[in-house]
Amino acid sequence: MSSVPHDQVAGGHEHGHDEHAHHPTGIMRWITTTNHKDIGTLYLWFSFVMFIVGGIMALTIRAELFKPGLQIVDPEFFNSMTTLHGLVMIFGALMPGAVGFANWMIPLQVGAPDMAFARMNNWSFWLLPFAATLLVSSLFMPGGAPGTGWTIYPPLSIENGMGMDLTIFAIHIMGASSIMGSINIITTILNLRAPGMTLLKMPLFCWAWLITAYLLIAVMPVLAGAVTMLLTDRHFGTSFFNAAGGGDPVLFQHIFWFFGHPEVYIIILPAFGIISEIIPTFSRKPLFGYASMVYALSAIAILSFIVWAHHMFTTGLPAASILFYMYATMLIAVPTGVKVFNWLATMWKGSISLEAPMLFALGFLFLFTVGGFTGLILAIQPVDVQFQDTYYVVAHFHYVMVAGTLFAFFGGTYYWLPKWTGHMYDEKLADWHFWGSFIFFNVAFFPMHFLGMAGMPRRIPDYALQFADWNMVSTIGAFGFGLSQLLFLYVVVKTIRGGEKAAAKPWEGGLTLEWTVPSPAPYHTFETPPVVK
Amino acid sequence: MDPKLKAANRRTGLILLSIALVFFFGAIGAKLLGSPVASIGVLGTAVLLFLVLAIGRHLRK
Repeated sequence: MSSVPHDQVAGGHEHGHDEHAHHPTGIMRWITTTNHKDIGTLYLWFSFVMFIVGGIMALTIRAELFKPGLQIVDPEFFNSMTTLHGLVMIFGALMPGAVGFANWMIPLQVGAPDMAFARMNNWSFWLLPFAATLLVSSLFMPGGAPGTGWTIYPPLSIENGMGMDLTIFAIHIMGASSIMGSINIITTILNLRAPGMTLLKMPLFCWAWLITAYLLIAVMPVLAGAVTMLLTDRHFGTSFFNAAGGGDPVLFQHIFWFFGHPEVYIIILPAFGIISEIIPTFSRKPLFGYASMVYALSAIAILSFIVWAHHMFTTGLPAASILFYMYATMLIAVPTGVKVFNWLATMWKGSISLEAPMLFALGFLFLFTVGGFTGLILAIQPVDVQFQDTYYVVAHFHYVMVAGTLFAFFGGTYYWLPKWTGHMYDEKLADWHFWGSFIFFNVAFFPMHFLGMAGMPRRIPDYALQFADWNMVSTIGAFGFGLSQLLFLYVVVKTIRGGEKAAAKPWEGGLTLEWTVPSPAPYHTFETPPVVK
Repeated sequence: MDPKLKAANRRTGLILLSIALVFFFGAIGAKLLGSPVASIGVLGTAVLLFLVLAIGRHLRK
């Protein structure tokens, strides 16, 4: 059972909702807030702003690649754009976006009054704007922002200018924010669940976040350690990764990907959680195979720790290691396949309706599976050697990150927007947003498979004439995708400002605790915990 | 909030923070140990055990 039917909740929404509680107003409300809903809102807006910033960087890249030759930016700036686009999207947009959903929904779904450490929650968020400012301001340092790509591999990252230091500090601060957020989420889930809500009665979104938070606590400190060593190599005469002093640059890759591969799952698991809420609701059926979904999430998390070197197949690993990492990577397809199967089985013979959240969930299901399959192809080492650092890899991870995580975030936003704002969104415009995103996403990223297979390397501002046609198509798709997101902003703002009043339970198939409270959710909820039978 | 619950939260938070610190210094210490494969292997095993114990012990609650 993935959710708690209303008839199993004692008390319903009489439980201590202080609908008109006094709280600070104006800017101070947002600066000093310890309320999980306010902080969730801050995270989500921050994430969207960073999504626009990272998106503008992506469009700069695509504009430069519209045709062969150098036309808009110089190569150094192009390299800075590829680096910052990756870092901004991962650490500024996707991770904070997921934490925004967690802040809003976890206390509501487990029947807790707030997050366990409310003040720390405020601090976790307010670290982020400073970190993001550091990161983006690296562009204005002597030498510009790092041109290393988001992986900041030495020796280039040791030799880059002052922008690299700012990037390292930004990563430290964002990492600290993530660790604090994770501690908060785990403690809230483990200690503040409503009476009767056993772990195996928790909504799957909470399960996905519980596992994600454990992953974050395990790997963010490792990244922090790696960049700390990088910093001491740059300024304090150590030689952890500096070959000239006896260090090992390849070691950095091991440590980076020990963080970097679980990071992929840190980004995708909360999306799995959101999709696991949406599909049952709009299929009007309980989630198929709840327990197997939980075990699949755990299996994916555990396996994510033992596959990192598939990112390093071309570094000269021993044959036994290659075989191990190749098969271990392929193994991840099993629990992932379980999840896809269960989502399909949930829809099977369901009474499906295609509102915007479900459209995005279906888009996710189809496109994430494409990204998963290209991941399987890349797991095969002899193939990977050919595709390493080509546009095939760029296509693969954008199918996972954009069509996977971002589509789930859009779906989740439409799903919970009535609960957050008290208004129904404009369904027609939201559908247009979906179709614009779905079509232009594929126009932008599917041709990259062809480019990669033809051998076009990634992170280059210029390319051979043979790649011109598909690059042009891809750039048109990217700009169309970017414009589609303005529609999303319009729909969200329009919903916040007014519209048809939303019922407490606007979706008839919604079974989790958040649908037992009024819409918009009162400022304080579940001060007296509900009892889940 | 109930003081007992507050104390339990603090305990859980501190345990998680200490794990994060172990990983932070572990990553640096692993390099100082020498063999990267062995040290990352040890770290990886620790992560696996941590995941299994951390999730497993709460399953029946």
